[in-house]
Amino acid sequence: MGQKTPEIYSVELNGAKNMQQVHKVGGQEKQIGLKRHPQELQKELDLDDHKLSNKDLERKHDTNIVTGLSSTQATERLARDGPNTLTPPKETSEVVKFFRQMVGGFSILLWIGAVLCWIAYGIQYSNDKSASLDNVYLGSVLALVVIFTGVFAYYQEAKSTNIMASFSKMIPQQALVVRDSEKKTVPAEQLVVGDIVEVKGGDRIPADIRLLSAQGCKVDNSSLTGESEPQSRSCEFSHDSPLETKNIAFYSTTCLEGTATGMVINTGDRTVIGQIASLASGVGNEKTPIALEIEHFVHIVAGVAVSIGVLFFIITVSMKYRVLDSIIFLISIIVANVPEGLLATVTVTLSLTAKRMAKKNCLVKNLEAVETLGSTSIICSDKTGTLTQNRMTVAHLWFDNQIFMADTSEDHLNQVFDQSSGTWTSLSKIIALCNRAEFTPGQESVPIMKKAVVGDASETALLKFSEVILGDVMDIRKRHHKVAEIPFNSTNKFQLSIHHMDNPSDPRFLLVMKGAPERILEKCSTIMVNGQEQLLDASMAEAFHTAYMELGGLGERVLGFCHLYLPADEFPETYSFDVDAMNFPTCNLCFVGLLSMIDPPRSTVPDAVTKCRSAGIKVIMVTGDHPITAKAIAKSVGIISANSETVEDIAKRLNIAVEQVNKRDAKAAVVTGTELKDMNQEQLDELLANYSEIVFARTSPQQKLTIVEGCQRMDAVVAVTGDGVNDSPALKKADIGIAMGIAGSDAAKNAADMVLLDDNFASIVTGVEEGRLIFDNLKKTIAYTLTKNIAELCPFLIYIMAGLPLPIGTITILFIDLGTDIIPSIALAYEKAESDIMNRKPRHKKKDRLVNAPLAIYSYLHIGLMQALGAFVLYFTVYAQQGFRPNTLLNLRVDWEKDSVNDLEDSYGQEWTRYQRKYLEWTGYTACFVGIMIQQISDLIIRKTRRNSLFQQGLFRNKVIWVGITSQILIALVLSYGLGSVTALNFTMLRPQYWFVAIPHAILIWVYDEVRKMFIRLYPGSWWDKNMYY
Amino acid sequence: MVIQKEKKSCGQVVEEWKEFVWNPRTHQFMGRTGTSWAFILLFYLVFYGFLTAMFTLTMWVMLQTVSDHTPKYQDRLATPGLMIRPKTENLDVVVNVSDTGSWDQYVQKLNKFLEPYNDSIQAQKNDICRPGRYYEQPDNGVLNYPKRACQFNRTQLGECSGIGDPTHYGYSTGQPCVFIKMNRVINFYAGANQSMNVTCVGKRDDDAENLGNFVMFPANGNIDLMYFPYYGKKFHVNYTQPLVAVKFLNVTPNVEVNVECRINAANIATDDDRDKFAGRVAFKLRINKT
Repeated sequence: MGQKTPEIYSVELNGAKNMQQVHKVGGQEKQIGLKRHPQELQKELDLDDHKLSNKDLERKHDTNIVTGLSSTQATERLARDGPNTLTPPKETSEVVKFFRQMVGGFSILLWIGAVLCWIAYGIQYSNDKSASLDNVYLGSVLALVVIFTGVFAYYQEAKSTNIMASFSKMIPQQALVVRDSEKKTVPAEQLVVGDIVEVKGGDRIPADIRLLSAQGCKVDNSSLTGESEPQSRSCEFSHDSPLETKNIAFYSTTCLEGTATGMVINTGDRTVIGQIASLASGVGNEKTPIALEIEHFVHIVAGVAVSIGVLFFIITVSMKYRVLDSIIFLISIIVANVPEGLLATVTVTLSLTAKRMAKKNCLVKNLEAVETLGSTSIICSDKTGTLTQNRMTVAHLWFDNQIFMADTSEDHLNQVFDQSSGTWTSLSKIIALCNRAEFTPGQESVPIMKKAVVGDASETALLKFSEVILGDVMDIRKRHHKVAEIPFNSTNKFQLSIHHMDNPSDPRFLLVMKGAPERILEKCSTIMVNGQEQLLDASMAEAFHTAYMELGGLGERVLGFCHLYLPADEFPETYSFDVDAMNFPTCNLCFVGLLSMIDPPRSTVPDAVTKCRSAGIKVIMVTGDHPITAKAIAKSVGIISANSETVEDIAKRLNIAVEQVNKRDAKAAVVTGTELKDMNQEQLDELLANYSEIVFARTSPQQKLTIVEGCQRMDAVVAVTGDGVNDSPALKKADIGIAMGIAGSDAAKNAADMVLLDDNFASIVTGVEEGRLIFDNLKKTIAYTLTKNIAELCPFLIYIMAGLPLPIGTITILFIDLGTDIIPSIALAYEKAESDIMNRKPRHKKKDRLVNAPLAIYSYLHIGLMQALGAFVLYFTVYAQQGFRPNTLLNLRVDWEKDSVNDLEDSYGQEWTRYQRKYLEWTGYTACFVGIMIQQISDLIIRKTRRNSLFQQGLFRNKVIWVGITSQILIALVLSYGLGSVTALNFTMLRPQYWFVAIPHAILIWVYDEVRKMFIRLYPGSWWDKNMYY
Repeated sequence: MVIQKEKKSCGQVVEEWKEFVWNPRTHQFMGRTGTSWAFILLFYLVFYGFLTAMFTLTMWVMLQTVSDHTPKYQDRLATPGLMIRPKTENLDVVVNVSDTGSWDQYVQKLNKFLEPYNDSIQAQKNDICRPGRYYEQPDNGVLNYPKRACQFNRTQLGECSGIGDPTHYGYSTGQPCVFIKMNRVINFYAGANQSMNVTCVGKRDDDAENLGNFVMFPANGNIDLMYFPYYGKKFHVNYTQPLVAVKFLNVTPNVEVNVECRINAANIATDDDRDKFAGRVAFKLRINKT
């Protein structure tokens, strides 16, 4: 890994200076970020361990550098300081969560209803000791309903939290620590201040440590500071700021190479990262759009319920009903109006979708985030790993004066360039030999591209590339025995090795070399074209430069390759090569070719970006990478579309200064972190508003937050991807934070609402699709559920106003809401999209509501009313056929309900006892119940689509709907015929023919809705469309 | 960041409401223009008109299936209930012998109730039937309408007939008459061709003691078969329901007595747990004497 320095990248040649600045910028920003929280800064300043000498350190932390702490000391300190882990963000306690479910949404209304019931009974009881217990039952049932739905919602939430919890459980980290003069491996969480730990390349730093000794130690601080380059660490005190000094390594960063010994100076939450993590948890969560929508909906429905209830309370009181009766009416109206089962249904629907998304590699932490993703209008995506494959891959080759393209797809198999040339033979040999990377053993069955490799990114790329094309590289290397090697270093900027030829009769040595192209070219005097060595003349050099610039312009990392056959007479087989004395030629070599590498885009990404674009979602790339590379990737995945130009492009094309270009002509913009830093809020807003294709390059994770806030000022719903700890504020701030499952840090995963298990951008798009679908389907579910409320409410109003015997009882209503209707409303979640939902704009957070006026009006005043009429027909039929014709029923209520009247006369002169009437009343309840149920089937079927005809959608594509319908009928059958004899439930055995009375109304509902949809399709944008489309 | 609710001043809210009610720029009243309102009103007029028509039609069709003289189903009325007169709020007959006002309303009700039973009216409207057998009037293919009813003369109620009775059905003397009647059920052949009668008892042992003696009219509380079957209000126009009067002779005063009367008939069950009035009636009797 030692060879990896930025200098090798050709693109860095013109960007190196810029990079330095950016690093500083990153540092400054960090300071700014901390200044927002003075207390945190204060804590930061307390850290002075880096200034102390080793002796002072020993004294301060009461330890011994050589022998370490004793086990007893360690145990004491562990007890005093607690384990060395980050406290997870404060979770709301389970009890609070539970109670929140108990009083949230409609629950509070139902509680009021239950309490009113009990109060009513109390009053009745104080007047008459033998008062019937009906109200107590009803109150208890209501309370049970609340508790049941509350427990259910709580369970659902807990389940989804558990998925996440299990996910975040990591393999415990181990640390190598010196205790009692012995080296021991202990779990990292048992480290205490004063422990002496050893780290080596590949380890995660187990705590904040002050280095005591280090050999070529480099750490990756990107998760902490966003610096993407490895930082070298030694034991010298180099800077006053603890963040900048070289002798401190921070918890959760990674040691990339080298080894180091250090003393633990801070553990757990007292580490720097711990402080940042707690800072991130300070950024509150936005309420998710769907949560807002549901709140909005609950407000509407509760408002309707309460106002109708109060209105009728006033009416009944002024109609001289007893206040007690009026209270009971009030309760029934509330119960009829509140869709008790809906919130549970929504939860189930969301978790079903969450499950479906998990299958597609989107793990949803927060159920409501499912829909948020659907309303996303801007995605701020990382580049590395999300848009790209996160591995260097050979993209282009230049030899024989020609640029060839290599296959950069995930499997690499489709290499089409010309491999017949002699130059390729030589080049491939150099690629294979001049390479120190090796496959880790024991992965024979793993596909080449997936094999683990020891070596840095570019060497790995070259190794895999040659392995795919040439076959067993290790064998080639074995056959060409290596006799000498100069590894890469930043002064040489090349790597060289000398090998025997594989042909034993050929005594020559082969010298192969690769490195920065211009340095390689300097060393060459000839060039190989079509397998023949030619003199490297000016025209060839020109061709080289053109190719080099072109490949560099693509944002690729370019390497040059050359070789030389050492003449056998000068270098006999026994010649001893000395790499320090360099007793072999390193100039006048033969240039063979160039090879360029890039971290290529994932093959699914361009499609996904196109989908986003047609779905009206703006994709913004935010990366720490170099602008040229960023732009190249943006272009190749379509974030910057093929025909759009940046201001700079236009300037270049027209050959004018950048300032002269009319900014309106450019659709795309590449903005660096430095530029972004100089912008004020208005300029950023303008930038975000005016350019449809934006790439932010060289940005620090802190700037992500600025970008997210900018997008949110435009009322956009922003999805942000991120992996580092420093991304967590942005992830929290975003409407939906998406953490990377593979590359992401724990802090990022904690802050995010969703985790992409495969780190793939395309998965986000799948998520968007699911999110949009769920929004549509929730609309359908709600419309379906709201409809029958009118059919439940109207009978009650008629009962009060016209004095009919009560058509439907409160408990019966609960059986519809929580019995027959539940499975069908969940079934709507399985409905397929009506049209290509990825071809419309994202919904506007504030304008396109889940429950809008047309939906409520159409459900309540159209379908709901038709259902009510259908239920009434059934009700009147039952009564008329038993002897009470409709005209007799009018104003019969008072006598009907009197317990002392046991000879109430019907339309035929027959006389009824109270119980006989009661039984008839229950038959009426059952009839209404069946009537509503039958019409709800029709309602369910029409709700499958909002615009398309059912025949377009297909009646049988969603099988779950039919499961729902079957369940509806079965539950009704069981209630009527199975439980018909249980008095408390108020169901009776209904005559079979009554099950069919409401069918004409059900058909009417269906026909009416088809007509509605037809007009909507025929006259889009018309008055009808505006008023009838929900 | 928690969503900051946009704080609106009171004036702004009023302004917004004003604009909602009447927006002078777009000429919108409550969010709709005049034409839009006209459309929507017209739509609902037509739509609801159609629904009303539809509902009326289905109701009409449904009523066609219901006959005028017999209800389609009578399964609920398999056991006729019993009921008492005078009808009181909680089925309790409370008589303060010295307080005329306490029983006067009962007397008024009874007078009114028994008026159709006056012999003169009965003789004028109804037939004298043969006792001991059902008075059947089958249609035999031709609608036999209206059907005749048998006479039940007020005088059959003896001391409880209230004719020329200075004691006002016994209420003024603390020996009240309570009338038991059986609910009318169309085409119900009560008694299954055997004689039936009404009996009364105190509900519990102490009630039985307190109840004392009583006499029944007609004798033994008999109900004759000739009053059955009943053919319905429309056909059996002058149907007179048979009654049984119970005169309580020496109820223990100042005590609430629970009385239960039931019909003893072959085809009337009186032991229904749920329907406390199936073939029986329970009421409270209290005579207050000072």
